[in-house]
Amino acid sequence: MKSKALQELVKQIFSDTKTKAQFTSDPDSILSQFILTEQEKRAVLTTHAKLGLITSDSQQLEAAINPTYTWHSPTP
Amino acid sequence: MWQERLLRLLRDEIEAILAPLSEIAGFSDLIKQSLIHSGQESGSVSIKHELWPLLPLIVYEAISGQYKRALTIAATLQLMKNAAEVLDDIEDADSSTSLSTKYGSAIATNAATTLIILAEKTIARLKKYRVKDQTIIRIMDTINSFYTTTCIGQHLDLSLAPGEEISEDKYLKITYMKSASTAECACCVGALLANPEQKLIKIFSTFGCNLGMASQLANDIQGVLQGSDIIKRKITLPVIFALNQADSHRRNTLKLAFDDSTETMPDTTQIKDLLFHTGAINYTTVKMESYKQLAQDNLADAKRGGAKIERLKLFLK
Repeated sequence: MKSKALQELVKQIFSDTKTKAQFTSDPDSILSQFILTEQEKRAVLTTHAKLGLITSDSQQLEAAINPTYTWHSPTP
Repeated sequence: MWQERLLRLLRDEIEAILAPLSEIAGFSDLIKQSLIHSGQESGSVSIKHELWPLLPLIVYEAISGQYKRALTIAATLQLMKNAAEVLDDIEDADSSTSLSTKYGSAIATNAATTLIILAEKTIARLKKYRVKDQTIIRIMDTINSFYTTTCIGQHLDLSLAPGEEISEDKYLKITYMKSASTAECACCVGALLANPEQKLIKIFSTFGCNLGMASQLANDIQGVLQGSDIIKRKITLPVIFALNQADSHRRNTLKLAFDDSTETMPDTTQIKDLLFHTGAINYTTVKMESYKQLAQDNLADAKRGGAKIERLKLFLK
């Protein structure tokens, strides 16, 4: 899965305070400026709804990633 | 709980496979040790984590409504997975609790070889469930093909020069080959055993691939949060994103931190902060979520194909 648009979107949000503010208040208006796949759009919106813009450690982030963390073995 | 019941049955299946080794106490114990994941030593594994060994079994059940036959497949893949972990520890030499650290690489290599041979032998146990020879051969070939992919991925990873910058495309390709392919394998053979239409096997295989990619990117995020990948100077997706997108000052800081030839330990707090503020963690989280979205779409397709997907949804929560 390859998407330069997704990289550009995140780069712009994190490097431009105006874009960041607009994304925070109206994510769709920013998303519409980038050619993203349907799954990428849903992923951006889902992540934003759950975690906001991730700028530091948080319990929510831990909780969001733990369920798929690793492949454990059953002890015989 | 159904998870605990199925895990108990899987443990029993593995016990039965290891039974011939029990006369040689030292060896049997060693093989059992190699089956204990470091995360389990504290005895505090959550049920969510315990779902993973059941993946092929749950796929089989989603299609056929039964699970018993798939215990053999789940045990086979568990043995393969643990053999790969023992070998990975020998190759990386970065774990203080690995079998190779405790007993040396010769003993660990022999244990891994034994696990692989036992895994191959286990596939033949499908005969007791009256699975056709043709299906058994197909499953054997599929598992060996996927694990060949895993070995190639591991080779590509080991062949990277220390501190070598790689593109996101190359990183994701290696991640698929050495990691996600094992989850794809688990779903593919679980579906193969249930013998549905080819289309459904393909849907479940793709689901496994997307699930495996999401899982590996979760590992990448965890590696930064815990600082372990920063200390090991392991270049993962957040670092690749930041190296490509950050300004020259931050890029130089990162390059220095991940340069193997320097003796100074990286400042984990500084690097974590940099990865958060360049959007690298946000990007990796969105990327992980994208793979989850794809996996959800795969499950919707599987449901339209007649599969019962409720238990598989647990992997995506």
